[in-house]
Amino acid sequence: MSANGAGAGTDLGGHGSAPIRDVRAEMLRGAQSLATPAPPSRARGITSDLSVDEALLLHTAGWEPLDLVCGVAVVSVPLGIWNWGGAIAMASDAHNAAVDQAARVLRGECSKVHGHGVVGVRVEVSVHTHHIDVELVGTAVRPMSHKNGAAGAGAAGAGADGAPDLPFVSDLSARDFTLLLRAGWMPVGLAFGACFVYSPRRTAGTAIRQKSQNVELTNYTEAMYSARESAMEKMQRSALDVGGEGVVEVKVTEGPVSFARHAIGFTAWGTAVKLVAEAHCFVQPQMVLPLDDAVVTFEAESLRSAAQRRG
Amino acid sequence: MPVGDEPARDGPPPDAVTSAAGGPQGDLPEAAVRRLEADSFSSGLSVPDFAACLDLGLQPVALVQGFCVMQWGWYGPGSGATMRGMSPYIGGQQTPGAYSETYRCPHGYISAEHRSWGQNLEQPWVQDAWAQGYGAAYDRMLEEAGTLGAHGVIGVADRVSNVSDTGTTEFHFLGTAVTVEGGPPPAGGTPWSTYLAGQRLTKSIEAGFMPVAVVAALASVRMWAYCMTEYYMEGGGMAGWGNRTGPALVDQVSKAHMASRQLARKHVRQKLAGDELHGATIGVVTRKLSSGDEVINCTLRGNRVRRFKDFDPVELPTPTVRLS
Repeated sequence: MSANGAGAGTDLGGHGSAPIRDVRAEMLRGAQSLATPAPPSRARGITSDLSVDEALLLHTAGWEPLDLVCGVAVVSVPLGIWNWGGAIAMASDAHNAAVDQAARVLRGECSKVHGHGVVGVRVEVSVHTHHIDVELVGTAVRPMSHKNGAAGAGAAGAGADGAPDLPFVSDLSARDFTLLLRAGWMPVGLAFGACFVYSPRRTAGTAIRQKSQNVELTNYTEAMYSARESAMEKMQRSALDVGGEGVVEVKVTEGPVSFARHAIGFTAWGTAVKLVAEAHCFVQPQMVLPLDDAVVTFEAESLRSAAQRRG
Repeated sequence: MPVGDEPARDGPPPDAVTSAAGGPQGDLPEAAVRRLEADSFSSGLSVPDFAACLDLGLQPVALVQGFCVMQWGWYGPGSGATMRGMSPYIGGQQTPGAYSETYRCPHGYISAEHRSWGQNLEQPWVQDAWAQGYGAAYDRMLEEAGTLGAHGVIGVADRVSNVSDTGTTEFHFLGTAVTVEGGPPPAGGTPWSTYLAGQRLTKSIEAGFMPVAVVAALASVRMWAYCMTEYYMEGGGMAGWGNRTGPALVDQVSKAHMASRQLARKHVRQKLAGDELHGATIGVVTRKLSSGDEVINCTLRGNRVRRFKDFDPVELPTPTVRLS
């Protein structure tokens, strides 16, 4: 296992054969466990928004969920900024500040439960005229080898419980997180960049001349390029700031701002990752040929020859 | 709750809710009893889920349901005077144990209309009403299942919807009651329940997690903005007027949103009694009642499961590429 906990507790490269289970016996065992009242417990119940598949996959990779965590930030946007020329720096700053603050709160919640990071983070951003709202929701996780807080304690960048001082935030699903670990990589943070640009108006003469033409509106095209470059640059810089080597699963949103004519927004985000193994490990997927062919319906008439159909 | 030692649910017990006919909810309607006594089973399971259910040793008994329609107490515009806590300048008691934060104006007295203080306030009466309706519908579904001698209810689906223009909310539960072949009834006789069915339920059992109950909670936080929140949320900063303050974190709104989510998690955790919650879904609805007056309702629901054996990892899945 790496210092970051990749592959904790389990050989992620092998395809060991698990014993075939008698599910009926397991079901009976489960039913019997509920037949007697459980002893009173003051244990802190684990909460998680992972599906059964994801939880099992995470367990198989040697990690366990700890708690459903969230981070919300609402940042104000000053009046009148949407209608000024060039880059709308205050809106871009508000957007990035809201994401940073929400991620900070999310990491704080993760640290409280001694998590090493948050996976499956759902990112929701809504841009309003006077404020930008960001919500991040995910599940805090840790390697099972750190269950008792002993492993990793005292390591560089780790607290007394072995949890890192700066937990990672990743919008990768548990499936993608597990695959990433198998390939020798580790998520290190959420990379985010946003930019809003005001597209300059055409002059009245230009607008009249172009009215009946098929013509590219270069003011919008250039504004879009400008917004894209700035947002992508910010995203990559934020990845480097958290120690990432690159960003995977980049998502982009782009387009006009609904309430501000001539304003164009571009947002890019993904998970910053870094290689923690000596070299990238190819996961060697097995090729499968599904037999459930999509062509399952046909016209019975087509079985007859053309001559038969005519006759 | 299905097992005998469950903590009390928020709000009064379901049998405290009276039906339209005025009687207690202890008995099923006569027509329902006749239908359920028929010598055939019904199920809401898909064919693959049905097959997986049989494979797991679960015998479907009947499609069981529970309903409850609740009228909500008035807490719309104008209700603030009676529900809001006392002004921090006067002093006063909030609902004991409930979340509350007050924000004071930094400007001193300006005018009677000035928002000299603001508050984020948990609304236990809203939460209790929701828990009462949700709990009553859930218990009625389990009652149907229990009457049939079922051990559990799988593939539970619930829906909370507003009955239009009547100020009421309908809670509806639906699931397939099952018995475990050769298995003992759950402690206390109340069936266990889960949103899962089919292969997902099988995988959960294989991994050592037995469903206990579906759990859900609503957290409601009302926010009355104070002057600074109002200032920022309505474009404070005045860009272009030579007095730019730039973007600022709107602390009160951010904290109100966080509180609604944290309270929902806290309420759900109180129902877990040390068990785990899997497959949680979180939903947030924000309603603006008037300027600077918002209600944030957060619903959290999921499967309460109990570990009945030590961790038993499933086989490491093989990555595949589909040739098609």
